[in-house]
Amino acid sequence: MRKVRFNWADFIIWFVLGLFALIALYPFIYVLAGSFNDGMDYSAGGIWLFPREVTLANYSVVLMDDDFWHAFGNTVLITAVGTVCALLFTSVVAYAMSRRELRFRNFFQIANLFTMFFSGGLIPYFMIIVLLGLYDNFLVYIIPSIYSVYNMIIIQNFFKGLPEELREAAIIDGASELKIWWTIYMPLSKPVLATVALWLATGFWNSYFSTMVYTRAGDLETLQYFLMKMIKEARVDTGGMDPSLIEQTTSATISFAAIVIATIPILLVYPFIQKYFAKGIMIGSLKG
Amino acid sequence: MKLEIAADVISNSKKDPEHEKKRKRKWTGRDITLVGMASLSLLFLAVFSYAPLFGLVLAFKDGDYGLNLLKTMATAPWNGFENFAAFLLDPNFVDALVNTICLNLIMLLINFPAPILFALLINEVRNKHYKKVVQTLSNFPHFISWVIFGGMIIAMTDMTTGIFNPILEAIGLSSEENPVNLQGADYAWATIILSSLIKGVGWGSIIYTAAISSLDGEMYEAAELDGANRFQKAIYITLPGIASTITVFLLLNISGLLGNSFDQFYILQNSLNLSKTQVLTTYVYQTGISQRRYSYASALGLFNSVISVTLLLISNFISKKTTGRGIY
Repeated sequence: MRKVRFNWADFIIWFVLGLFALIALYPFIYVLAGSFNDGMDYSAGGIWLFPREVTLANYSVVLMDDDFWHAFGNTVLITAVGTVCALLFTSVVAYAMSRRELRFRNFFQIANLFTMFFSGGLIPYFMIIVLLGLYDNFLVYIIPSIYSVYNMIIIQNFFKGLPEELREAAIIDGASELKIWWTIYMPLSKPVLATVALWLATGFWNSYFSTMVYTRAGDLETLQYFLMKMIKEARVDTGGMDPSLIEQTTSATISFAAIVIATIPILLVYPFIQKYFAKGIMIGSLKG
Repeated sequence: MKLEIAADVISNSKKDPEHEKKRKRKWTGRDITLVGMASLSLLFLAVFSYAPLFGLVLAFKDGDYGLNLLKTMATAPWNGFENFAAFLLDPNFVDALVNTICLNLIMLLINFPAPILFALLINEVRNKHYKKVVQTLSNFPHFISWVIFGGMIIAMTDMTTGIFNPILEAIGLSSEENPVNLQGADYAWATIILSSLIKGVGWGSIIYTAAISSLDGEMYEAAELDGANRFQKAIYITLPGIASTITVFLLLNISGLLGNSFDQFYILQNSLNLSKTQVLTTYVYQTGISQRRYSYASALGLFNSVISVTLLLISNFISKKTTGRGIY
């Protein structure tokens, strides 16, 4: 066994990595401190690590904002429905594509791969959205995202690695392909499905482009779009709120509180993300 | 009985694959189901990927400022390559193109190798807990939206309330009478590069860490016997070991020379830095969606796609010739 002793190379590596980790963490600390600070006091500057004049007013304003909750609710709904639909749709296709005996398999594969490299661009896509009646429609958040070639390939690669005998046994029992997919392949593929589900969920949760381009916002506003407006346009609706509460806040500190609240769900699933994401990447890279 | 027939069918089909290939198999219910399942992807792609390609005819029509996009598409008169000429001669486009290419080239030099270096460093840490802590912290920003992360960057670079101005003042690079504005045009590229670095390095390194962990340990042992030090092992064993992974990502990066993260640029843009932060993705949005210059933006999009695919094909070709590695 190697002796453990002080070593300059080790020290530098530890230091560089540690420094980078702290730099990556710092923006969250900055915003967290600001979110608990009095608004006017924050404007004077100097809130870098800890709040100076502690207040919960920023959170109160955000939590009492109906628009915030509306956007939050929309995003939760989009994330939940979108992730489930996309996972089912993509894995059905992946199942068929993973079968060697699939007819026209090459054709299917080329037709899929081509779209990964060549796209029509924003305007023609926008036109299709309008043509399908998806413009300013809740479904614009779900339908265009139910399938992704990349995710299909990841799941397909995992399916290919499952033992062939399981399927053969099920065929003997007279199970249909759909039944084999649902009762054998899906339960055995939890690691890859969890990975893709988390990719999808963070994608849905973090997106604001669709709201901005394919809707008139309003009722269809999403959380990230709401935050984007707050950050870019310093737009905060404090109508009808307690004046003493408003006095303790500014649009900046309110946006910090909103940012913190919007980050909490990611923080809650982060342990799972850590566990599955790395695995998923490996599944994709080793076999793909 | 049923069982035996099925088993027989399976063993027969397995016995002679050559024979099976020549003879045309009959379509069974299973074939139809499988083709049906796979066709779902065609249905989706036909609508959301292939149909838009037909929409590209708009790039050859005079359809700017149309009131109704669909009507414009159908009725606007053809105008050949006028839209392409229009954007190629447009100084705004040229600015966006220059920003896009310069920023992407700088990022190719800095942001592309950074995760590789990070993975090599992580690989040198023997303490598992420290490794885990560093990875947990440095991966986190990846999962946060650009709206939130950009909001944090904007707050931190603010002239009066941010953290950077006091530091700059302390070391004499800025003064209270004549403060540096980090949100201005002069610092826009640095902000963009550094913020992508902080957000992307940890996560970007995961793929390389995975590739490194699958390398053969015996090679390291052999190198140790030959007296190789850590640095030599990293350069002569680890790097060549992950070269194919690096190649794939390099090719994808090169083909993305005209692409940028819309989310990142849009949130970090302001009226002061727009001259330095306008890139093609945001420019297409601005002209096509905000200004309704449908044909102009379609032509721009087509230009963008063609260049990207060409870059991918060329870089893949060169990579295959020189290193024998490619994406396909």
